[in-house]
Amino acid sequence: MILLDYHNRIIEDTLKTRFNPENKPKPVDMSIVDFDGVSYHLSTLDDNDAKLNLSIRWKCWNELVQYGALDVLKREYSRWIIDPEHGYDFTLQFDLNDIGGDPEDVIRRVSLLKRNAMAAPFERAFDAQSLAEQEDHWDPSSSQLMTIHYRDGEAIYVQNQQDRVTVIFSTLFKEETDRVFAKVFLQEFVDARKKPHLQNAPQVIYSHREPPLEIRHVPGLLDSESQGYITFVLFPRNYAAGAVREETISRIQIFRDYLHYHIKCSKAYMHSRMRARVSDFLKVLNRAKPEIQASEKKLASGRTFRRA
Amino acid sequence: MSNTLRPYLNAVRQTLTAAMCLENFSSQVAERHNKPEVEVRASKEVLLNPVVISRNDKERVLIETSVNSLRVSIAIKQADEIERILAHKFTRFLTQRAESFVILRRKPIEGYDISFLITNAHTEQMYKHKLVDFIIQFMEEVDKEISEMKLSLNARARIVSESYLSQT
Repeated sequence: MILLDYHNRIIEDTLKTRFNPENKPKPVDMSIVDFDGVSYHLSTLDDNDAKLNLSIRWKCWNELVQYGALDVLKREYSRWIIDPEHGYDFTLQFDLNDIGGDPEDVIRRVSLLKRNAMAAPFERAFDAQSLAEQEDHWDPSSSQLMTIHYRDGEAIYVQNQQDRVTVIFSTLFKEETDRVFAKVFLQEFVDARKKPHLQNAPQVIYSHREPPLEIRHVPGLLDSESQGYITFVLFPRNYAAGAVREETISRIQIFRDYLHYHIKCSKAYMHSRMRARVSDFLKVLNRAKPEIQASEKKLASGRTFRRA
Repeated sequence: MSNTLRPYLNAVRQTLTAAMCLENFSSQVAERHNKPEVEVRASKEVLLNPVVISRNDKERVLIETSVNSLRVSIAIKQADEIERILAHKFTRFLTQRAESFVILRRKPIEGYDISFLITNAHTEQMYKHKLVDFIIQFMEEVDKEISEMKLSLNARARIVSESYLSQT
């Protein structure tokens, strides 16, 4: 598995069993987590097992709402939205007797809840850029820098410009090793564009510690060795309306998790390699020990004996 | 094997073979003590001159000898940040398993990455030439292992970045 899934697997699986008409509705109360500190709560109502609530909580929810997340969510889930459950930001309610659509399609859409919430600022930036392109005169004030503090100390910045949209990730590397590995990975991201079949890929710029120009004026940027910034420059061809745009939004959201996932994988691989190598070395060292031959000792009478 | 590695390893092998001429020797300072003299350094007359064999400024071997013990310290090649981290991780991994590597010193000598301490007890229990073989093989393979790990990291990074950027 090189690419991570965009949807939440647990929600998908649970809903699949719940939505299956052969299964009788049963009470459920589940807490589910996702990347970037998202937590879900899946529960049935106390008095009605056929009503299923799915709530989401995310620390950057207010920012997402500010950038139009509710519009996107209304478009995707209008039928099921109810008032948020206490302690959560957003809640959907399903009636198992009347799901309201093809179950497969509903499950797919619901498992993408986090992705859809996060899609709002991207859609807004893409739309603003397309609009600006049609006008002759570029008004710099229409460029909006949207900040999403989706994790502690890490943020995504999305900015529309005249002919492109820039997406900047700030990321923290907890360990020195992670930082060095990330450097190798990000260098490859930067170089990957030189490959002929990746000519159309967005440009990637990596800077370590030094924030890119677009966000240099933003207050509260952490100035530390463990801070890294990755900039994606998206051109209109990368977000042409339709499937391409949806795919781009999904994939760019998963970037941080993808990078960190592969850093961890490499570390695990190195670890298993070192284990194998160490046992090899031990074998070589043990060869240095002469084998003691357990020869049978005999008495003069011919009987054998064993030394205590 | 590159041209400079062969004579380097040969020199280390010859020096080790010559140095590994150890005998039981009780402490001259404290009665009924028997310690590796190269570590305690209590009596000067049982210590021999240390030898440094360098391949270049980064890679070198320090061999310190005494009447009943011998210490070999190796500095591993670390050309860049990644190699430095990999070498550090690898040596740490080894020293944590010093229990099973009887001749491994738990802490490397200052300025080196990994140290071995061979006492007369070891040479009595084990074949000397095989011990020398072990150290030589270790030196050969550590370099190989580190460069292979580095290559695999780069290869992974390339695949990861290409599969992410394709289609987007």
